[in-house]
Amino acid sequence: MFRIPLLVALALSVAFGVGIASAVSALKATVGFGAIALGPWVAFPDAQTANADPYARAHRARAGKLLYGGAEGLQFTAAVDDAGAKLSAACSYDITGLTPPARFWTLYAANENDVALRPGPELPSAFNALMVLRQADSSFVIHVSAEAQPDNWLAIRQAGAFKLVLTLLDTPTAGSSGVVDLTMPKIVKTGCGDA
Amino acid sequence: MRSVLFAILIGLVGAALLHIVIILALPQFTGKDANTRVLGLYEMDSFFALANEPGPTGLANDDPFLRVAVCGFSIDVAPVRFQASGNVPFWSLSVFDANSNEVFSMNDQTSVNGNLDLVVATPIQLVELRKTPTEKLAQSIMVEMPEQQEGYAVLRVLSPASSYEEAARSFLAESGCEPLRR
Repeated sequence: MFRIPLLVALALSVAFGVGIASAVSALKATVGFGAIALGPWVAFPDAQTANADPYARAHRARAGKLLYGGAEGLQFTAAVDDAGAKLSAACSYDITGLTPPARFWTLYAANENDVALRPGPELPSAFNALMVLRQADSSFVIHVSAEAQPDNWLAIRQAGAFKLVLTLLDTPTAGSSGVVDLTMPKIVKTGCGDA
Repeated sequence: MRSVLFAILIGLVGAALLHIVIILALPQFTGKDANTRVLGLYEMDSFFALANEPGPTGLANDDPFLRVAVCGFSIDVAPVRFQASGNVPFWSLSVFDANSNEVFSMNDQTSVNGNLDLVVATPIQLVELRKTPTEKLAQSIMVEMPEQQEGYAVLRVLSPASSYEEAARSFLAESGCEPLRR
């Protein structure tokens, strides 16, 4: 006698449970469609425009961030290294190479909610095109580690996963849509733990 | 057993519909979008320089080397004029409408003489401005904002080292975002 109400309850709970869970997880998983992926680095050049897809609109309304306009710059984030493994604060990484053409760039580490890590005022927590030490061919090597490193050291004092955020200011990359061969710096794991 | 499977199937169809409704409707009711946060600063018609730590609205200087100021504006009554000048290595400005869609963006190399002088107006206001050109707007860049009368602007200034900090702060402090009076 309770068969029909039970079946209605089952259908409703599946609808609401799966519907809400899938929407939330879709918004957490990605910023939307139309990403430029260059190795581990991902950027969304259209996320702030009226052409953004519904997922990108929902995501930006939920995150409430001040996005970069087309003439301002393009922000790349990397949550994995070149081998595809998640960036973990327990490991050390080397960021090597050159950035795509841009007037200026900044690099910092952020937590999973895109908030910049601030390991302390005495530690180097961010780099930019002016302050990075370069090699003779103007490429750079930045050591990302919780432990002090020589040369360019990006300090991360945190447990768990983190992201790297590379912002190219005034760059033609935003309009290129992957036609031009862009090379981003490589992120290579150099070791984990105390070793 | 068949009816249980049928109920789950109906549930999945409902879930797909609900997913679409949530994704499409979310921008209207989050209350956390950038425009709401900018309005939450209670600063209309002037640039509000953000702090390094997130305030009650959650807005902050995300990038350690960029100082950001925001300004909520309305062009319902009069056009709005953005002005700033100073000796900084890089600045950029984006104008967004209330739905956080980009209307216009520029940086110091796309400006006249490196100074920010931008007028945002509705199409009708723009016709008025062009009909009676004035001396003080001779260098201004005119931008049309067709669909909406409200929005916010984001002004970013680069401060690559601590010695640039003061110039960046004063650039933001002296920037203007005021209704255009004629």
